[in-house]
Amino acid sequence: MIVLKYLFNALIFPGALFTILAGFLLSGLDRKVIARMQRRIGPPLAQPVYDFFKLAGKENIVPAAANVTAYKLAPVLSFVSLAFIMVFIPIFSFSAFSSKADLIVILYLITIPGVALIIGGSASGSPYGAIGISREMVTMMSYELPFVLVLLAVAKKAGGDQLVFSLKEIGEWQAVNGSMLLHWSMIPAALAMLLVIPAEVGTQPFDVAEAETEICEGPLCEYSGAPLAVFKLSTCMKMFIMTGLFTAMFLGGIRTGFAGTDAILFVLICCVVTILCITTIHAITARLRIQHLFQFYWTYVTLLALVSLVLVWFGL
Amino acid sequence: MILANYIVSFILIALGLLVLCTQKNLIKVVLGLGIMDYGVNLLIVSAGFNEGGTAPIYTLSELLSGVPSTFFVAPVPQALTLTSIVIGACVDAMALAIVIMIKKRYGTIDADEVRRLRG
Amino acid sequence: MNMIQHFPVLAVMTLFLGAFLIEILGRNQIVRNALAFAAVSISMVLLICLIRPVLLEGQVISYWMGGWKPVANYAIGIGYEVDALGLTFALLGITAYWLSCVYSFGYMKGKQHLGHYYTLFLMLAGASVGFFLTGDIFNMFIMMEIVTFSAVALTASNTEKTTAIEGAFKYLINCSIGSSMTLAGIALIYLNCHTLNLAQLATILPGNVNLTTLMAFALILIGFCVESAMIPFHASFVDAHTVAPSSVSMILSGMVLKLGVYGLIRISYIVFRAIDTSSLQILLTAFGTVTMFIGVTMALAQHDFKRLLAFHSVSQLGYIIAAAGLCTSLGLTGSLYHAINHTLFKGLLFLCAGAVIHATGTSDLDALGGLSKRMPKTCICFLIGAFSISGLPPFNGFVSKWMIYQAAYAKAVTTGNFYYAVVTVTALVVSVMTLASFVKVLHSVFFGQLKKEHESVHEAPGIMLFPMYIMSALCVLTGIFYKAFSTVFIGPAVFAAFNNTTYIDSMMGEGYAELFGVPALAIDKLEFSYWNPFVWFVLFVIVFAAACVVIFSSTGTRGRTLKSGGSYDSVYGTGDLSVDFMGRTYETGDPEEKYAVFFSGEKAEYSHAGGSDLFWGFKYNWHKYYQFLQGLHSGSVNDYSAYAVICIAVICMFMFLFMR
Repeated sequence: MIVLKYLFNALIFPGALFTILAGFLLSGLDRKVIARMQRRIGPPLAQPVYDFFKLAGKENIVPAAANVTAYKLAPVLSFVSLAFIMVFIPIFSFSAFSSKADLIVILYLITIPGVALIIGGSASGSPYGAIGISREMVTMMSYELPFVLVLLAVAKKAGGDQLVFSLKEIGEWQAVNGSMLLHWSMIPAALAMLLVIPAEVGTQPFDVAEAETEICEGPLCEYSGAPLAVFKLSTCMKMFIMTGLFTAMFLGGIRTGFAGTDAILFVLICCVVTILCITTIHAITARLRIQHLFQFYWTYVTLLALVSLVLVWFGL
Repeated sequence: MILANYIVSFILIALGLLVLCTQKNLIKVVLGLGIMDYGVNLLIVSAGFNEGGTAPIYTLSELLSGVPSTFFVAPVPQALTLTSIVIGACVDAMALAIVIMIKKRYGTIDADEVRRLRG
Repeated sequence: MNMIQHFPVLAVMTLFLGAFLIEILGRNQIVRNALAFAAVSISMVLLICLIRPVLLEGQVISYWMGGWKPVANYAIGIGYEVDALGLTFALLGITAYWLSCVYSFGYMKGKQHLGHYYTLFLMLAGASVGFFLTGDIFNMFIMMEIVTFSAVALTASNTEKTTAIEGAFKYLINCSIGSSMTLAGIALIYLNCHTLNLAQLATILPGNVNLTTLMAFALILIGFCVESAMIPFHASFVDAHTVAPSSVSMILSGMVLKLGVYGLIRISYIVFRAIDTSSLQILLTAFGTVTMFIGVTMALAQHDFKRLLAFHSVSQLGYIIAAAGLCTSLGLTGSLYHAINHTLFKGLLFLCAGAVIHATGTSDLDALGGLSKRMPKTCICFLIGAFSISGLPPFNGFVSKWMIYQAAYAKAVTTGNFYYAVVTVTALVVSVMTLASFVKVLHSVFFGQLKKEHESVHEAPGIMLFPMYIMSALCVLTGIFYKAFSTVFIGPAVFAAFNNTTYIDSMMGEGYAELFGVPALAIDKLEFSYWNPFVWFVLFVIVFAAACVVIFSSTGTRGRTLKSGGSYDSVYGTGDLSVDFMGRTYETGDPEEKYAVFFSGEKAEYSHAGGSDLFWGFKYNWHKYYQFLQGLHSGSVNDYSAYAVICIAVICMFMFLFMR
């Protein structure tokens, strides 16, 4: 019975299916809104879904230099790990797997899709892939530092002088004391997190790893057909997971007391966050160079997160 | 004077370290290692020394009576020193053997030249 | 009980006896291998027999050499004493030696002077096991010296590398500095306490702080810091690990560095009990943090496979020492867990490096590439090792790193000391850098395009793959069944480190500890319930299998793949079979050149970007840092000695200023 419950959690709600649907929604919304910002009409909201099925139906060509198995398994690994991360993120009061230390588990689980992308790009044997994975890795190193600082600041704020890493406990703290975002000392951390999200998802201006115009989408250069579709799907899911994490950390504690409305509210907040941090930044900036990206994250964004951590440390 | 022993032993250790840091000739480096060892050995021997003590050996009469007639120095540090000297000699021999090999392969025993492993 | 009392000393004696016999009888290859294998196996069995009484029943086994029991509460003879802490390390050690021994049969085959090799190997094994089991501080020093001696000789025995001799020399000089310091410390201890027995010292020294014991503590601490390759003592270790034969590198890196860790824990937790002073905690964690950071950043800049791994050892040792310095039960648990994991995954990675060197003859990352097609099994083992060391769930590195983060941040928030938050952040960031440097190795060696001169390389022979499989399996198992593992092995060891009354009583007679009023450190409850990796793993497997079926059974893609999915060499017309990741063979048919890799429809060229080409954006930003640091790793033995002397001075001064 418990296995069935876990299976349901992993496969349907808040796991794979829910994440996919929400991810498609966010991705479609992103494209629509950015089109409106650029005075275009833009694609219909369901365009990512059409794209996915069209790609999935296309022929899959494996390059001769590739390591076939690793090349084919990489997108699956990416998809599966992403489907599981959502299980660890509570949707307001509902959480599927409650455990003691969700923040670090999530931090590590979130790196797995990146690693899968790297393995795929590396296994394809393409020089574009090699440059792409190199940049992807540098991007990961860049946002890791501010991301860690944000997580620790949130943990310290919710825990006081006790160690609290559990997202569920953080949510409960917010239900009592109001959302994190309402505490002024957490605002720099929230800003830092908003800047981490686009790099994690890989959208402009932080899409150096998959820069289409320079290195032909880097790690995805050789991919075609169904595996490429899965990677595109992973990006959509990542969008939802990162914004979901933001919501759980900074806007938690809103309880309608009913799982269905909670989920809808959660997705709505995610939509707002997506438009705020992914779409807007995408619309107003051009792609950074990789060394500037690293500098940007290890100076400005880190400073923002650090300010929060220090403020929280002094009990503010 | 026992205090002089301690001071000298630490001076020897310091000298050994100084040789290790400054001498470019690898043979001299090994000598520095030896000096350091002997400083430590002196320290151990001094640790067991008792003012006016004799060698810790029972004579027959002492064994029969069961009470030592003279005052002994501590025997354990002497055993330790012996062991330590043996180890030190082995290490020095090993190091010198390696220096010979370095001379054969690199053609020099200058520490500034023998640094292909770096960075 | 009576019989089992002799087991620890027999376990050590077997190895030394084996070394002796091999030197006499070892002309014949079969006799030699059989003797080496038998000695290590017997010793392993003897130690495994000790699991039940020591780890499960919580006894402490003591043995007096020649029956020289303490007289009038004064220990004069040499004692062996096995508590859970020592046994955990000894078991880890003998496992590593067993695997390395099996690997050596394949890896060292056909080399010269193998008799001496196995003699030294067994001496190394005997000395390390003896180090973990002995109850006498001077004996610890002797064992350390034997370890240094045989390790140096083994490093120098690599005749294929001219630089081996240089690495060995630096290693010898560096370790001698460390052991001289330890010996000086031991002399000072003897001066003050007139005993060398660890159990008796553990009753006298705590609370008995004067200048002599403080100096002794500082010196012994330095000795063990040298042995565990802390910054700035690490440079010569890295050199030695790089040039030693891979089967020895695995031992040096995975096992010999643990002598220092064990010594540090034994000295600071049990003998001096100084670990509960906050200044020592800060010293050790600072040491560990700096070490993990510098180690990993230096590793990122390396382009030699083994040198990169060696720098990672330094970095991981930083984690271990930093966690041990936290002085919380979770921290020590994480530290010991990570020590065990480090032996497993670093051993595995060095064995993979050995397999690559065995096949291609080079370990230069710039000269390799695309080997996964020729060595798929090695590649899988390497992936497991790399994921473990980077701490990806569900592998073992994640469990121990999780404990370390948790412990460090708990320390930070409970003491309110921001310094420990910095430690946590550094540990977390170092982890992603570890991942980065393994991505570099993965891409440069195993993925990417195959070099033309490596087209005929072969997979490692079965006897080399066997230890690699075992280590991979252990990496996965200790990650998934972390609860059982930490209850059986780590929990008792942590308990032993915090409560030494049994240790003292077993050695010096019942009630001895009480007589002197030895306090037990307050031990907080151990909690291991962070998540249930088993459930997660089952789910992962189900969904992964389902997804694999979907991807692999899609017929339309598969036909085309088989037709065009030839290996790279087939593009050049040199071969017509390709082997994929799982070892299956496909007929390549008639591949079109434009399917090799994407070149805008042009004919593919050999274009492998790997090794030093990667991580440009990172290196660009850090080039000043790297200039500085690589300048410091000058390779000169004088410079390394100078760093050691400076560090010794700093530690002594720190002790005198803050620990009195």
